[in-house]
Amino acid sequence: VDKELQIKIIEALLFLSEEPVSDDKISLVLSVPSDEAVMLVRELQNKLKADERGLQVYEIAGGYQMGTLPELATHLEKAFSEDVSSNLSAAALEALAIIAYKQAVTRIEIESIRGVRSEHVIENLIKRKLIRVSGRKEGPGRPLLYCTAPDFLKYFGLKELGDLPPLEMEIQEENLLP
Amino acid sequence: MMQQAEYQIKLPTFEGPFDLLFHLIKKAEVDIWSISIANITAQYLAYLQSMKELNLDIASEFLVMAATLLRLKSKLLLPRAPRASDQEEDEELFEINTAEELFQRLEEYRLIKEAAAFLRDREEAHQKIFLRSTGGQIWEGAHHLSDIMHRFAEATHADAYAPAFSAVEDFVLAEKSAYICSLLELAGQPLPMKDFINAGGTWEIIITFIALLEMARQRKVILLQDRLFGPILVALIEKEPQKEETSG
Repeated sequence: VDKELQIKIIEALLFLSEEPVSDDKISLVLSVPSDEAVMLVRELQNKLKADERGLQVYEIAGGYQMGTLPELATHLEKAFSEDVSSNLSAAALEALAIIAYKQAVTRIEIESIRGVRSEHVIENLIKRKLIRVSGRKEGPGRPLLYCTAPDFLKYFGLKELGDLPPLEMEIQEENLLP
Repeated sequence: MMQQAEYQIKLPTFEGPFDLLFHLIKKAEVDIWSISIANITAQYLAYLQSMKELNLDIASEFLVMAATLLRLKSKLLLPRAPRASDQEEDEELFEINTAEELFQRLEEYRLIKEAAAFLRDREEAHQKIFLRSTGGQIWEGAHHLSDIMHRFAEATHADAYAPAFSAVEDFVLAEKSAYICSLLELAGQPLPMKDFINAGGTWEIIITFIALLEMARQRKVILLQDRLFGPILVALIEKEPQKEETSG
């Protein structure tokens, strides 16, 4: 099969899919090894980027997905304004950041970092499917443990959890005395 | 009292005591590890005071933090006692025993705030990208009744605890009853049940059936069926002047 055709197939495949498509799936469809599939997607991605096409290929949640060019947002909102999800509150983002970096964590652990009660915030995050319960912590009370849900990566357009920037600790210990 | 409404000063809202402390530290342009407890305590209390003057609800967490700050400050003023009793681990949620601990907690909070800011940026960037959405296609691929029920349950999950009958449905029921009555009066003779169903959707059949049962119970109509599974006829019961009935 020639490469041009393979790239066209990937383009069509991504266009049709409502979920990110993994490289495994692409390699299955094209009957090529996974690393070759990745190369071909990259090629398509670069091509669309170079041509500044209305649709682009994004790497989201461990797969590839077609999405619109960000610059078109103001125009597209006129037609799809109801599709735009409301932003998360500052409190929700704080709780989500704690869960994303320290998962799995209990509610108490989240609250002790934030310094405020967070039941309501956690409930909302679960409702939005950004986090989920991953189990219970061993110990007194066996509290629920929370971790990020698959939709977390999709919501923020992240490829994987490793895409989160590292938390940088400031140098401490020495200049502690008040 | 009336004048209070005229003063509408808006204070920035903080996500919690750490958020407020963090704001004060930033304003003072010092880093977390070199803040003066005495200084920050004074500022913190001044802020709470201004909240109080504006009649704002002060969440208990803010007051706990104020108490914690005062305790830390007093500890710094007093000579250190041998800390044998301090050893026991306190399970209290926001317990902070030393200035070091406070700095540590603030630093941890600062990192999370940075991470939250990163997520906010990503959120904004990603919201500019439109993806193919599944919205509005929940029926696709549902071939069996169980599929449809499953999808329905999923789609309405949030309302799973809503009461079974709402005011809207009651209204529909009353409307249907009135409609049945008017048709019967117009016809002047019993009518088969199917005459009261127009569009014929499941919902309408259910409503019609419930309305008829209710009307039969109230003795407004009588339901007639001459054989099993035969057509059901609905007849209006002529209103007889009830007052004439004398007790025996």
